[in-house]
Amino acid sequence: MRNRFNELRRGSWSITDEKQKVATFEEMIVMADRYMTEEDAYDTRINYMSAALDAGSREKILVAFSWCLAKFEQTPGEYSVHTLLWYYKWVLNEIWRMPEFSLDQVERIYEDFKQKCIQHGYNLRPYYQQKVNFLLSQGMLAEATEFYKLWRATPRDSLADCKACEQNLFGVYQFKMNHYKRGMGTLKPILEGKMSCHAVPQNTYSHTIVPLLKLKEYDQAIAIAKKARRLIKGPQFLEEHGIFLEFFTVTDLPKAVKIYNDTIRYGLDSKVGWDRFHYFLSVRMFLAEWHKKSRRKKLAEADRVTMDWLDWEIARLAEAFDRRNGNSYMTGFIEEKSLHTRRLIAAFASRS
Amino acid sequence: MKNMNFQVNLQGVIDLLSNHLYSDPGVFVRELLQNGVDAVTARRRLGHAFDETVKVEVFSSYTLAFSDNGCGLTESEIEQFLARIGSSTKREQQDTADDFIGQFGVGLLSCFVVSEEIAMITRSALEGDALEWRGKPDGTYTIKKLQHEVPIGTTVYLKAKPDYEDYFEYYQTSELLEKYGQFLPIPIMLIEDKYERTINVPTPPWLMDKEEAIAYVERETYSKPMDIIPLSSVIGGVSGIAHILPYAVSLQDEKRHRVHLKNMLLSDKMNNILPAWAFFVNGILNTDSLRPTASREAFQENDLFFAVRDELGECIKRYLMELSERDPELFQRIIRVHYASIKAMAVEDDELYALFIRHLSFETSYGDMRMADILRDHRMILVAVSLDEFRQVARVAKAQELMVVNGGYVHDLDLVRNVTAVEDDVSVDILSILEFANRFEELGYEEKLAVQPFLDQSDELLEPFQCRTLVRWFEPADIPVLYNTDREANFFKLAEASEQEANPLFAEVVRVIKEGLYEGPYARLCYNYNNPMVRKAIESRDPELQRASIELFYTQALLLGNHVMGAEELRMMNAALLRFMNRGFGGEAEAGL
Repeated sequence: MRNRFNELRRGSWSITDEKQKVATFEEMIVMADRYMTEEDAYDTRINYMSAALDAGSREKILVAFSWCLAKFEQTPGEYSVHTLLWYYKWVLNEIWRMPEFSLDQVERIYEDFKQKCIQHGYNLRPYYQQKVNFLLSQGMLAEATEFYKLWRATPRDSLADCKACEQNLFGVYQFKMNHYKRGMGTLKPILEGKMSCHAVPQNTYSHTIVPLLKLKEYDQAIAIAKKARRLIKGPQFLEEHGIFLEFFTVTDLPKAVKIYNDTIRYGLDSKVGWDRFHYFLSVRMFLAEWHKKSRRKKLAEADRVTMDWLDWEIARLAEAFDRRNGNSYMTGFIEEKSLHTRRLIAAFASRS
Repeated sequence: MKNMNFQVNLQGVIDLLSNHLYSDPGVFVRELLQNGVDAVTARRRLGHAFDETVKVEVFSSYTLAFSDNGCGLTESEIEQFLARIGSSTKREQQDTADDFIGQFGVGLLSCFVVSEEIAMITRSALEGDALEWRGKPDGTYTIKKLQHEVPIGTTVYLKAKPDYEDYFEYYQTSELLEKYGQFLPIPIMLIEDKYERTINVPTPPWLMDKEEAIAYVERETYSKPMDIIPLSSVIGGVSGIAHILPYAVSLQDEKRHRVHLKNMLLSDKMNNILPAWAFFVNGILNTDSLRPTASREAFQENDLFFAVRDELGECIKRYLMELSERDPELFQRIIRVHYASIKAMAVEDDELYALFIRHLSFETSYGDMRMADILRDHRMILVAVSLDEFRQVARVAKAQELMVVNGGYVHDLDLVRNVTAVEDDVSVDILSILEFANRFEELGYEEKLAVQPFLDQSDELLEPFQCRTLVRWFEPADIPVLYNTDREANFFKLAEASEQEANPLFAEVVRVIKEGLYEGPYARLCYNYNNPMVRKAIESRDPELQRASIELFYTQALLLGNHVMGAEELRMMNAALLRFMNRGFGGEAEAGL
């Protein structure tokens, strides 16, 4: 069994298909749970979490993490607390994206993380950072601002995200607060190549292109989008693919067609409500533009992804989030977004 | 407030630049060649008429002399540029189009990798004095005026450090000079004793015609390329050739394109100057405009670089499209040898997709087939998303005359799915593995009623394993059951383990995911009504025997499918086997067995 396990592990290094990689890790974990040591099972799950993120199967991170946390709590000396809390941050970043979790459940997870940080001697900077994301997702801007201040005021320790990632999120925060110019200023060091990491600037590009359209900085937006398209590939970037779909729906419809055909399968496969909502909202905008003319070419999944189905799916997800959050932010967001996109298309078409 | 300067450890900086910037000690040859060529270019610009040349002389005591009859250096130029790291005579012209190759003024430091001292004799084309400069890796140098006359130009002398003598041997120097400088436009002479030879070849490959280029590549690589693709990029000032490899290469192989900057070899293992999908060719290129990195072993990956790469990719695409018309036989051969690369290209580009798709082969339930043949015989195609799912159904699918294509290999799923874009009246569906058996022939009404109790018992027995059962009539008859499981079967096992282990807070989290985001069951067991053993089991009046049969059909299917069996499944298999053995030895049904 050890041989088979090692063989799978060796194979996993050269698998380029993300879903296939996840399936391989799952087989390894089942094997490790039954026939190998607890350490093998633990380590494989840690690797599995990264593979699940790459495959866009964010919900699987939570399942693997639950097991790792249990093992850590049973024998705290055996496993690294820093590694565990690092992945706990991932859990915090994922759990609110699924409306199946109640607000109370999400709050309790956040509280548990907070207590564990204190217990193990880390400060609350990552906790505040995650709170900002979570509150912004609910449209609670005033509350998010309070936590943003705490985040900025707490010093960095080894549990904090790297500087480039944080800078990127500072910019995203500004955009969410509708401070586009300030956001662009914040992201300047990243766009100039002075700050980078494995996720930045790829991540930054997708956040900046729509604000740049809003600021009518078309040339810069198009240049950044071009760079970003080279870097952003695969199912883990579903929300980003949606942003590019929206961007090219405004600026270059044939490119939007390519993005749609390349990524629609990721959207249909995803089980994460937040990612699906944003992606399908962009798909809806794209299809609305696409259907303005009669077309001979058939798009991928044309029978399944119809306007009616999209309306139904988007409304279903918005309602699920609103019910969970106890407000109507997501339903309002649909209206606002469609208005904004119409404006952007008109402004881009009339540029000199 | 005080303004202060950084303190620099000179020796450390020299060590860093000389020993760690370059990947190969042999680059000192390139750097010295480059300095020579640039000096000659500079003197030409002064309007001097002279017999341009760079000479390299090999001496018996592991000493090399690099001489050029270029512009030479004055004392102040030495002070300013040679002895000040980071300066260069060429810096101010860096962004203008020019004939210079170098940029950074650190090239000379690469000599310290192989030598303890650099000695240089120089006489400037502008002033009369001959100068001798000696530099050491600790950052010290001397400079003195020579009494005797020397011709205009520069000579650099190097003596090998211990362990680097090889680089000062004739054969090694000759090889390095050829490697870096064989295409330079200025004559490079290699001299030992009285023997003198020219390193340069008259025409670089990017200026050769096709036959010459094929012969050149064959000489260099010992294998004859299938063809030569001319490459050019106007914006990058690139001209070159891509030679099509006569053998298949793996997707994982590192590409090794040979790239020259202004005729000087920059790297013979650059992997990204051509698009990633073009791994069926090796390129030999020369550029005037791309900017090198500090080590001059790669290019800066700026917008220009990517635009050039796209333009070169277009050259390869255009060639293939023309070739399909001009020489269909060669076109077919290229596809046969390089189908993996061709598939990667077809996914990237709609035009190439239309050009290639009918020629590409896929693994199907009928064996390996070209898409043209698939489309000739079938209007309904099913694609399995993984190799595992394909294997589960391949044999049975053929027997039911179903065309199932394996989409588990890289790119195949996308290639097959998009076939509707180039072919009318064909349908392509993703195979739903758990629904697959539903396509088989249903039983008649009477038969359905007869098998229902057996199915109910099966469902009840296999429910803990997330497996549902059905009965259908299918070929081949020797297969008693078809067991299909989708990718989430193992995830379900994982979730179960997590739920059992997790603390109450997270057990709840796992439950939400398991029940709210996923839907079981994850496996299907389809009994074949065409199989005599299955018929016997269904028709048996003995519930114990029926139960043991179900358990054995299920566990045997797991074993044959190479699935990991859990403790409960193993126990079930053992119990069923013992029950059968007991019956075989004439025992009655016993409780507990």
